[in-house]
Amino acid sequence: MIGALRDLDRILRGDATQIERLREASLDVSVRRLAGLLVALGGIYGVCMGSYAVFRHNEADYPYYWQLLSTTLKVPALFLLTLAVTFPSLYVFNALVGSRLTLLPVLRLLVASLGVNLAVLASLGPIVAFFGVSTTSYPFMVLLNVAVFTVAGVLGLLFLLQTLHRLSLAESKNAAAKSDAAQGIVMAEDANLPTRPTVLELGALDRTHDHVLGEHVKKVFWCWIVVFALVGAQMGWVLRPFIGDPSGPFVWFRERQGNFFESVWQTLITLLSGG
Amino acid sequence: MTNLLLQADDVLRQRLDARHSGDRQTLRALVVSTIAFGAAYGLAMGSFGGVWGERAWLAVFSAAKVPFLLLATFAVSLPSFLVLNVLFGLRDDLGRVVRALAAAQAGVGIVLASFAPVTIFWNVSFADYQTAILYNAAIFAVASFAGQWLLRGYYRPLVARRPRHRYLMRAWLGVYAFVGIQMAWVLRPFVGDPLADVRFFREDAWGNAYVAVWRVLADVLR
Repeated sequence: MIGALRDLDRILRGDATQIERLREASLDVSVRRLAGLLVALGGIYGVCMGSYAVFRHNEADYPYYWQLLSTTLKVPALFLLTLAVTFPSLYVFNALVGSRLTLLPVLRLLVASLGVNLAVLASLGPIVAFFGVSTTSYPFMVLLNVAVFTVAGVLGLLFLLQTLHRLSLAESKNAAAKSDAAQGIVMAEDANLPTRPTVLELGALDRTHDHVLGEHVKKVFWCWIVVFALVGAQMGWVLRPFIGDPSGPFVWFRERQGNFFESVWQTLITLLSGG
Repeated sequence: MTNLLLQADDVLRQRLDARHSGDRQTLRALVVSTIAFGAAYGLAMGSFGGVWGERAWLAVFSAAKVPFLLLATFAVSLPSFLVLNVLFGLRDDLGRVVRALAAAQAGVGIVLASFAPVTIFWNVSFADYQTAILYNAAIFAVASFAGQWLLRGYYRPLVARRPRHRYLMRAWLGVYAFVGIQMAWVLRPFVGDPLADVRFFREDAWGNAYVAVWRVLADVLR
């Protein structure tokens, strides 16, 4: 556990994805350790998400603990199943457009991005839990969770894009020549202070100085986003309910109907019309 | 007591380092001043409608609620903000960031407390419940603007070092306001309705501030 946390810390602070480090040993994180941590982080967010069901006020006999348990299991399952379902196609796309990444580095990259995604998600957990405890409006909770998942997802994708770019920089043949330019040069912006360039280590989401994205980095990234986001959204849809609609009984899974995007729109309408 | 007031002066003048050497000691002192000054304003706010007999409890409840409002909002918003800071490469500044946030928080408490005598005077001279609520809302608005202003001050050296601190500070203000408004909503009543019974929570307080405001707006527009 300590090792996994240390890995996650290195990923979050951008230590594991410095260009120098990537050149030496690709992305040096342990998939097995991180996968365990992903389950734990997802579980933490699941508990926060399920707190809405626990504090439902209108029914006394509702088995809220089942909803809590089901949400706690479903959030990690959502991410790991999405990864399992999409990994083959993501890898094939990556090979097809001519990236040099082999199987294990691709897996490490994806697991690390999920690590960023779930770390942000779990850290937003207290806010969701607080609203879950104090709110009675179901549509509000649905939209709040969609917003939180979106924020976490966007940060995870930014990490993915930057790391993909850095990996390709680190692996390109003339990487040595670029090494100086690739160190981030941060200028002090405030006009009142003397402007002095400070060489800092790059953060996990920082653009490298050489920020023209390679052609295949862009292609791989867009293929991945489309595949991963579509499958992920649908996976979330299949695994419903996460929050537990207070107007219905407890179920482990709902019947197949509709799709994610249509439902978010409907929920927004419900909330705005006074639900 | 003298220490507390001297510390309050340091917080307002943005020179926290003068009195304390250790980071942890400063933080503890800041939390203590948030509690003390927040409670002082709570007492004043809860004194509406008199402090005799059972109504004295209202002042005590408010004195407990105001520091809780500030600190609970702080605690709920902090984890995600820390992860964001690390993710954007600001790990080295975390200590200073937390201290800046805690100082702004203490600043809100101090500004509130400085209005306590005015609030007591208001409560003595006016008896209308709705106006009292509006008055307190205005005082809270003033205090949070002052807190924001302090936060900007404490962030200035950080922003000078790394300009992206500015965006993270805005993110903090956004998240803090989002959580704080709901927290205040849940903790009602702060000013006790003179016609209602004395109690810690309202039965119907459980709910959502944003949904409630939207319903009022929708009713007006309809």
